[in-house]
Amino acid sequence: MNETITNLWSIPLLIVIPILTAIVVNLLYNRGRAIRAVSIASAAVLLVISLVSPYGFQWFTGQPGVTYDGTYTFNANVFSWKLSLEYYYGPLQQIMISVMSFLLLFVVAISTKSLKKNFGPYIALMFLTYLSAAAIMMVNDFYHLWIAVEIGSLLVAGLVAASGGGAAQKAALKYTFFSALSGSGLAIALALILGITGYANITDAINSVRINDLSGMYNVLYVSFAFLMLSWIYAGGLAPIHPLKSDVYRSAYPHATVMLQTQSKLTLVAIGLVLLRMFGTLPFAREAMLSISILTMVIGIVMALIQTDFRWILAYLIVSHSGLVTVGISLGTFRGIVGGLFQAVNDVIYMSLLLVCCEMVLYFGRGTSIKFSGGLAKRAPLLTVFVILGTLAASGVPPFNGFQSELILIQAALEQGLPEVAAVILMVSVSTFIALFRAIYSIFLRPGDELQQGSERFKLPGTTLMFLVALVAITLVLGIYPQLALNFLTESALKVVFVPWVP
Amino acid sequence: MDIKELKGIRGIIAAIALVIIFAGVLSSFMQLEGNVTRGISEEYNKLAYRVAPNNLASWVYDYRGFDTLIETGVIYVGAVVSVLVLGRGLVGLKGVDDEERVVAEPMDLKTETMPVLLKYFALPVVILLVSYGLLVVTGASTSGGGGFQCGVIVASAYLLSVVIYGKRSPFNLKKKTLIAFGAFGWGLYTMLGLPGYLTTNYWQYNVGADLWSWVPSFPGSVPEVLRTVFGEPFKLALELKEGVFYATSGIIPLINIGEAFNVIGAICLIFFAFIYGWSDSEEGSGK
Repeated sequence: MNETITNLWSIPLLIVIPILTAIVVNLLYNRGRAIRAVSIASAAVLLVISLVSPYGFQWFTGQPGVTYDGTYTFNANVFSWKLSLEYYYGPLQQIMISVMSFLLLFVVAISTKSLKKNFGPYIALMFLTYLSAAAIMMVNDFYHLWIAVEIGSLLVAGLVAASGGGAAQKAALKYTFFSALSGSGLAIALALILGITGYANITDAINSVRINDLSGMYNVLYVSFAFLMLSWIYAGGLAPIHPLKSDVYRSAYPHATVMLQTQSKLTLVAIGLVLLRMFGTLPFAREAMLSISILTMVIGIVMALIQTDFRWILAYLIVSHSGLVTVGISLGTFRGIVGGLFQAVNDVIYMSLLLVCCEMVLYFGRGTSIKFSGGLAKRAPLLTVFVILGTLAASGVPPFNGFQSELILIQAALEQGLPEVAAVILMVSVSTFIALFRAIYSIFLRPGDELQQGSERFKLPGTTLMFLVALVAITLVLGIYPQLALNFLTESALKVVFVPWVP
Repeated sequence: MDIKELKGIRGIIAAIALVIIFAGVLSSFMQLEGNVTRGISEEYNKLAYRVAPNNLASWVYDYRGFDTLIETGVIYVGAVVSVLVLGRGLVGLKGVDDEERVVAEPMDLKTETMPVLLKYFALPVVILLVSYGLLVVTGASTSGGGGFQCGVIVASAYLLSVVIYGKRSPFNLKKKTLIAFGAFGWGLYTMLGLPGYLTTNYWQYNVGADLWSWVPSFPGSVPEVLRTVFGEPFKLALELKEGVFYATSGIIPLINIGEAFNVIGAICLIFFAFIYGWSDSEEGSGK
């Protein structure tokens, strides 16, 4: 595959198709069948593009790079300062965006069947959420990263607000207000980086730091690092912002949370890698990132253990497992980064499995509270099997995918001489099982509930069943043959550790 | 949040955090003083004369034009999210009992109490504002104007008209029209990237200005017909004693028209939703 091309055909399509789909479905507004057809077709096209695309760059608007001698070039292999906004599509982007495209396809297929009228704007927001996450993953530019994070925050609020209840509105408004800090943090970091380096392009900014003598400018570097980390915390919902993000995950419909948590994980990965590339060599930078990650894991899991509603439990588990993703990245070693990236992939898959099961509980049961529902296993045995399999995957039980990534993370922590971090990761795994199984017992297995009195079995809708089967299959395949995913992740981890200026 | 909540330990932590942030930012800016690197901006300035005479327009809509496309999306999404919060397009799951829906009530706008003088004065102001908006958007590449500014000016004319005349406003845009404006604007901006993409694979390459075909490593080529269609209408001559130099801003003026529609649609829609509330049975302010 030719990675030197700067006009890769697929990158613009991955951004423009969601925009045009969003515009069209918003205009269609209440024409359910048309919205369903357009959105499924678009999501399928996005999945195909992400799977078949070669690797390379897109220099938007076709501006060249300026070489050392002042000449212009369109070759990515020639050293140059970029006039264009640069996106990169490599193996990491491919696996992340392909997984997200797959999830989007099923989420729109499920939601356009299960929602009541007037869902055009809602589906539009789904596509734009995809757009923001894809942009965040591919962009190699601080300024554009800021814009993508901004639009992403707004979209989270929109998806939550659309579910219409008072609690959702409150969560959305609260999130909008606080997430403004994320954008502002990035804006200040951007201003300082631009001031000190003169370049918005991340590669160029790193090269500028390497070439120019910045001794005596550490204050600026640390403050821009701090603000970039602030935006990482806000956009990804890390501690101490976890209550806001978990509120959002809980308040949105579970199918929407599938997209929201995917967007969060991709944002955590993308900004996390940028932090490492730009500031990884600053003393105490990785330690600061690691502290936040451990705090997120611990607080998230403790909060999950004390919840009495399946949706809240999942919301806090998503937060806690975000910490697993970032702990690997924060270790900053090759194995740690691979573990973190692999955990992100695995996490969005098994959490999606659990979230779709949760949505089915909303249909079949009487809400998701573990106090007032029970006995669902008798009426929905297949759903019970799926939710148990999802729990095993999330808890890091072999042969599911969660086991492989958590094992790599534990090894990476031990290699770094941090057994206490390995112990926390292990604790998160075990506690995840306890938190989820408590909910499963109450909702599915607890005897004596009147739901058990009926004899008719609840039937899973065809699309949902297909989605659940596919998700379980992926968790098993990645658990048995992790190399399938690791092949996409190792190159990125190597670049971050050894040649951070290369996107 | 009640201000009383900031007393005690929370307030102390917030105050300390603010002081640290303030000190950090201030000291950084002080350290930057005299040490700002001009970097890539110098290269942009070198190219200034070759596209739009308004260098800012070249930066915003050409060199960094894709940034602006997504920023335009921020405005569009802002409008959609605002009306969602106020009730449009709220969704519910079939067969699942929902919480009570949020319903947006219209504002209690009493236009009949407006002084007669204001009513006579407002109409010409509205007409002037709309005209000024049109002037600003048409001069996007040659003066300090553009689609954003035009959108905001026309939206302010709409707001003035609605506040003074209420539902009898002469500048009465229905919600479907506003939604269509926003969609058309963002859609037009997006699709203006297509000619460049089809000919060079670079999205939003300015085929009218066609700055880079002469570079040997430039992939693709722009057909003469596209260069003429998008370049000729916006061609400008710079007369100097050294001679007459021609430049064209290419697709920049068209992008600004899309931008203007998007901003008019988005901002007016937000005004509309706040003033009239939102219900799916209501067909716009005119009824």
